[in-house]
Amino acid sequence: MDELIKEFLVESQEGLDRMERCLTELELQPDNRELLAEIFRAVHTIKGTTGFLALPRLEKLAHAGEHLLGLLRDGRLQATRTVVDALLALLDRLRSILQIIGATGQEGKRECDDDTALIALLDDLRESGGVAPVREAAAMPTAPAIPVEQNTRATQPTDQTLRVDVDTMNRMMNLVGELVLTRNQILQANGSGEQFTALTRRLDGVTADLRETVMRARTQPVGQLFQKFPRMVRDLAQSCARCVRLDFDGQETRLDKSLLEALKDPLTHALRNAVDHGIESPGDRVRSGKALEGVIRLSARHEGGQVVIEVADDGGGISAENVLKRAVERGLLTPERALTLSETEALQIVFAPGFSTRDAVTVVSGRGVGMDVVRSNVESVGGVVELESKLGEGTTLRMRVPLTLAIVPALVVRCGPSSFAIPQNAVCELLLVMRRDESRMVQTIGDAPMLRLREELLPLVSLNDLLGLAKHIDNGYYVAVLEAKGRRFGLMVDDLLDPQEIVVKPLARVLRASGVFSGASVLGNGELALILDLSGLATRARLDLAETSAADVSARAAEAVEASRAEGTSVLIFEGCGGERGAIPLHAVERIERLMPEQVEYCGGVALMQITGGFLPLEDAGGLLLNGAGDSVTVVVCHRGAEVNSRIGLVVERVLNIAEAEVLLPQQSHGGRLALVQERLATMQAGFEDLERAA
Amino acid sequence: MNGTKEKGDAEIISLCSLRVGDAAFGMDTQQIHEVLGASVLQPVPLSHDFVGGVIPYRGDVLLVVCTRRLLGLEPLGKVLNLLVLRDEVENELFGLAVDAVDDVLTVDAASFEANPCTLTAAQKAIFAGAYKLRDGVIVRLEPELLRPSRLAEIQFPGLGIRTAAGVA
Repeated sequence: MDELIKEFLVESQEGLDRMERCLTELELQPDNRELLAEIFRAVHTIKGTTGFLALPRLEKLAHAGEHLLGLLRDGRLQATRTVVDALLALLDRLRSILQIIGATGQEGKRECDDDTALIALLDDLRESGGVAPVREAAAMPTAPAIPVEQNTRATQPTDQTLRVDVDTMNRMMNLVGELVLTRNQILQANGSGEQFTALTRRLDGVTADLRETVMRARTQPVGQLFQKFPRMVRDLAQSCARCVRLDFDGQETRLDKSLLEALKDPLTHALRNAVDHGIESPGDRVRSGKALEGVIRLSARHEGGQVVIEVADDGGGISAENVLKRAVERGLLTPERALTLSETEALQIVFAPGFSTRDAVTVVSGRGVGMDVVRSNVESVGGVVELESKLGEGTTLRMRVPLTLAIVPALVVRCGPSSFAIPQNAVCELLLVMRRDESRMVQTIGDAPMLRLREELLPLVSLNDLLGLAKHIDNGYYVAVLEAKGRRFGLMVDDLLDPQEIVVKPLARVLRASGVFSGASVLGNGELALILDLSGLATRARLDLAETSAADVSARAAEAVEASRAEGTSVLIFEGCGGERGAIPLHAVERIERLMPEQVEYCGGVALMQITGGFLPLEDAGGLLLNGAGDSVTVVVCHRGAEVNSRIGLVVERVLNIAEAEVLLPQQSHGGRLALVQERLATMQAGFEDLERAA
Repeated sequence: MNGTKEKGDAEIISLCSLRVGDAAFGMDTQQIHEVLGASVLQPVPLSHDFVGGVIPYRGDVLLVVCTRRLLGLEPLGKVLNLLVLRDEVENELFGLAVDAVDDVLTVDAASFEANPCTLTAAQKAIFAGAYKLRDGVIVRLEPELLRPSRLAEIQFPGLGIRTAAGVA
């Protein structure tokens, strides 16, 4: 293809992208002159260039459009909905012609490539002053199908090019020159003493600069991707009769160009789902007391060495019950299995191929392809997809994409003979646990070791055990307190090395299969370190991430009140008086203490225990304090609600386990509230009903 | 490696001869990107048994397939020679750890024999056939048969190699 034409295609595409964005904005603010001027410029540029390149079809169209836009720009015509629709139709047509040119080098002379109807529409609008012409319905042309589109997509010149500032380019060239110069000097220096040190230092500087410049040239702000969506959402909203606003956040977040391309399809799917399935019809919204206009929020940010892109809507949310019912109907799940799934697990079914909650297949969605495509696309670039939904409040789809090729600050830890890197952003705190302090700092609930960190109990995971590495026996170990998927946990490692900036290298697919490693990096000493994927690690360690951690009880407790349905809840099971099993919602538990009888004080007949800065009433239903004379007792410190004074100490015989419990409905149980835990019954401790529902 | 394929009356193939344990193997020199000397492998926990580890190689991290493990031998603990090969399917490079890299031999393509049916299933899966030499045979290896993405999918019944070690 002619170089000139190639350049024209790239430029025009960019112009049209801008025009598209402006047009959707224009609909909201029809009098904005700046937007009009921008649109006019885009069409004008195309018209100008086409005359010069001898592309008569484009020229005619662009001319008609320019004419209409001229009137709009001069304020002689109002940008009504009809006008905007016509301009969007023009935009689509221009785009399809550009596509044909990109594929064939010709403008397209087939029968369906006739533009007279569209040109006539534009002319009519101009003459009638923006009033919808009578013959609109007949004249409104549907964009012709482009049969070549699919197979030529990859070779579109716009996909293969990257715009880089001349400045950046010059800087790179400069640095490469510098690199060559340094190499020559090193070759001549023959490794002799003093000069060599200076040269290495210089090499270091040049490399760092070059690296940064190249990386910067490769990344593009996600805004470039986002700006393609307002138009799509507008069209979709119209065809589904929804009222939707699209908000953006973090558009300046930079991401590797190849990743941006890879995210385009999944994001399109996700937005489609949000408009069609997420946002309710305006009537339903008003009935449920929400604003008429639904909001979809598209945001991007860096987090833990990854880029997180979220599509959040404030629509109806996904009903786990509905999902399960559907999955059983579609044969994706057996009814028995469906009963055992938690709400979070149920939501995951949405990603299964062939799943759809829609009764009717609409044009937009409902064919059962979609979410599995989103997931497989994101996973193909090494990312993960998470789904969160609250019935009645909305759904958030979160895509985490790694910054392949990116450089991230990381903490390097040692386990057995190997080094591993943990993205620094995930590290909250580092602790040294000496052998003699171990019993104080690490306590076990059932078989699970928990780290006692100030007022919190955190699950503790041994990296050696998890990876099957030899255990390091010494007088202590380190614990890195990490945060993954909003959950804090402690990771036991043998040793901590320096924090350093590491270059992330992708790993072979075969090695990524375990989900524990996201990449590898070469350390300063030439050794390789595998980079830990913390969410994969957490999953592997069976840290139930949906479980509420003790840390944010107060926040969740407030939400829990609103939750209406009793679901499977994580509970702490304990043995009370006479071997009776009792249960208490896990996130109500703050910590577990052993108390000597003399530490229990009595005041006005109430048993109290001292805690930092106050006291705690002890609840001793089984009379363990009185009967178990001389022995120490176990106290579960827990709270009933968000308020400070709702904390109590529950005296129990011993703590048994943590498990998922199904709270039985009152008619199923006799008297007290019972729960089914691991196929045995346990009495739910009274007073924690509100907290049981926070899944 | 300049693998040259001489065009004559008979098709001559130049084979790089390799040794693993007591067995002799050969690989077409044209299929070898580079031969590296002694290298230190970084083990990868929770990976398949055939994975010897990873090494840094020209800005990439290469997965190294341990030939000894594939043949049911104990790994030596150190890698003396490493071939860099290309996985055409995944379009990435990988390493193949062998005990020794010897001479480059030239063999006649006509002397090629397919795998005998008496081989174990595991050997059939990784051997490409054999060339008859004057004083013995040399087993042909192919990157296509040894690429990690393929090895991860096949079973090795005879060797007790777990396919997806620890992959949940």
